[in-house]
Amino acid sequence: MLFYATTLDGLQMGLCFAVLALGVYISYSILDFPDLSVDGTFPLGGVVCTILMLKAGVPAILATALSFFAGFMAGVVTGVLHVKLKVSNLLSGIIVMTALLSVTLALTKLLTRNGQTTSIFSYRSESLDGLFGGKLFSSHGSGVKDYIVLGVLLVIVIAIKLLIDLFLKTKLGYMLKATGDNERLVVSLGKDPGMYKILGLAVANGFSAVSGALYSHLFMQYDNTSGSGKVVLALASVIIGITVFSRIRFIKDTTAVIFGAAVYSLCLNYLVLVDTNGIYLKLLNAVLFTLILVFNDRMNAVISGKTKMKRRVRR
Amino acid sequence: MIELKNIYKVFNAGTVNEMRLFNGFSFDVKAGEFVSIVGSNGSGKTTLLNIISGSIPINGGSVYLNGMDITEMSEHIRARKIGRVFQDPSVGTVPSMTILENLSLAENKGKPYSLGLAVNRRKCEMFRETVLKLGLGLEDKMDIPVGLLSGGQRQALSMIMSTMTPIDVLLLDEHTAALDPRTAETIMQLTDEIVKKNRLTVVMVTHNLRYAVEYGNRLIMMDKGQIVLHKNAEEKKETSVDDILHIFNDISIECGN
Ligand SMILES: Nc1ncnc2c1ncn2[C@@H]1O[C@H](COP(=O)(O)OP(=O)(O)OP(=O)(O)O)[C@@H](O)[C@H]1O
Ligand SMILES: [Mg+2]
Repeated sequence: MLFYATTLDGLQMGLCFAVLALGVYISYSILDFPDLSVDGTFPLGGVVCTILMLKAGVPAILATALSFFAGFMAGVVTGVLHVKLKVSNLLSGIIVMTALLSVTLALTKLLTRNGQTTSIFSYRSESLDGLFGGKLFSSHGSGVKDYIVLGVLLVIVIAIKLLIDLFLKTKLGYMLKATGDNERLVVSLGKDPGMYKILGLAVANGFSAVSGALYSHLFMQYDNTSGSGKVVLALASVIIGITVFSRIRFIKDTTAVIFGAAVYSLCLNYLVLVDTNGIYLKLLNAVLFTLILVFNDRMNAVISGKTKMKRRVRR
Repeated sequence: MIELKNIYKVFNAGTVNEMRLFNGFSFDVKAGEFVSIVGSNGSGKTTLLNIISGSIPINGGSVYLNGMDITEMSEHIRARKIGRVFQDPSVGTVPSMTILENLSLAENKGKPYSLGLAVNRRKCEMFRETVLKLGLGLEDKMDIPVGLLSGGQRQALSMIMSTMTPIDVLLLDEHTAALDPRTAETIMQLTDEIVKKNRLTVVMVTHNLRYAVEYGNRLIMMDKGQIVLHKNAEEKKETSVDDILHIFNDISIECGN
């Protein structure tokens, strides 16, 4: 029974994180940019979405969509730091991530009645419904509710995936891919690769924020510390997805990344079963990530040479 | 067409590695000219092309294109008028994209890269015919990622991509150097064809003295950031590969190697 509940939980969280992973797929896989700012934009999305619902009465689904723009703006900052001010890619991400720690903390003041900063704001304390608290969800038994939540998340994730797939087929999408693969060609085509980097980072962090908003809905609370470890989680999801699932014929990278996020979240949740106090969770997490990286290397070594055409060439 | 006036270029200024390459260097190319540049390693040929294309900043002087001062213009804006093929075949294409996708990208140059679909299947036939003319068998590989093609095949593709849309100037930097002799010959002939058809102005750097003598209508030899030999169209017709080789060797001996 516990195992069953853990699995269901893991899948829900997995779909939530899939949105984040799809964003990081854009920055990491397509633009070849290891973007650490997602650690900051994830909680940013959560707090912006919560404020919009609580203070402006914006419907949950719209508030979630709007949180995209908060992440988008933060991504633009990361991009501008790197492209215009020539800060290295890792440091640009670290700068934005650090700055956002204060921004999100300042924003939580808007959530509490007395204007204090809190690290956790519970939706129930202000009888805020969120995306999954409404009648549709509560009128059924709790067993059914979990499946409805899962279904809604699935619809959202698939919609985002299809949107990204479509985008990557456009001229703009091609330029993004070209920027990650061969910047000099983009210059030859008369365009500034820096602009595409900024755009890609903005979109990636937009999705990170949406993911953070969904995460808040899922737990009926906004947690200011929810960003920590999201880079690792997202990278692990993307790498599992690309190495394991993308190899299967007819599975697009975006689909593979979703599977990757689901698998990784499940693994994390099962780790909680083992480590009930949660003390070693981050350590286990790090070990798991290392295993994935090593496995990724091995797989590449074994499979290179007879790679399917579909896998294309990766540097 | 291209005019370099009184160019100064210093690398690593103010350090022990300071290297003054160009000191008041001037050079101009008229519209429709095909200039071949030869010269020993480190003589400044690539740097010259980089200055024309805007890939590196200069310390003094000005660059004109079509009479317009482009000294302050960034590289990607200049690229709208200037095509370039590099020595390394992988620079001119996107390795993870297919031939069809690469050609589609290149064909859109000059227009906005918007949210329209990138690959227009109706143009596929046209692209196929373009690569068919190369005779490298690429027409059957339209959906294969360019990264899996050979260097020569990629270089041929780069050549086509950089000249697909109207440009004024074509810069070639040892673009046959990484290829086997037969493929190099093919690419060189293709270059000549494209240049003649589109009436391009060309600056070609090469270490192949025969190409330098055979192709183009001007020849320049560079050494230590200076032009040490200049043959115009008439003089060039009278020049043989051996003549150039002698001069080349003389300069090298003066340098003590
Ligand atoms: N980025 C740089 N930093 C420092 N020095 C440089 C740089 N680029 C070129 N140089 C120096 O400028 C000189 C000319 O280099 P350049 O690449 O133009 O030579 P080249 O004529 O193209 O030679 P090759 O035939 O080997 O390609 C060399 O001495 C080189 O060391
Ligand atoms: Mg060179």
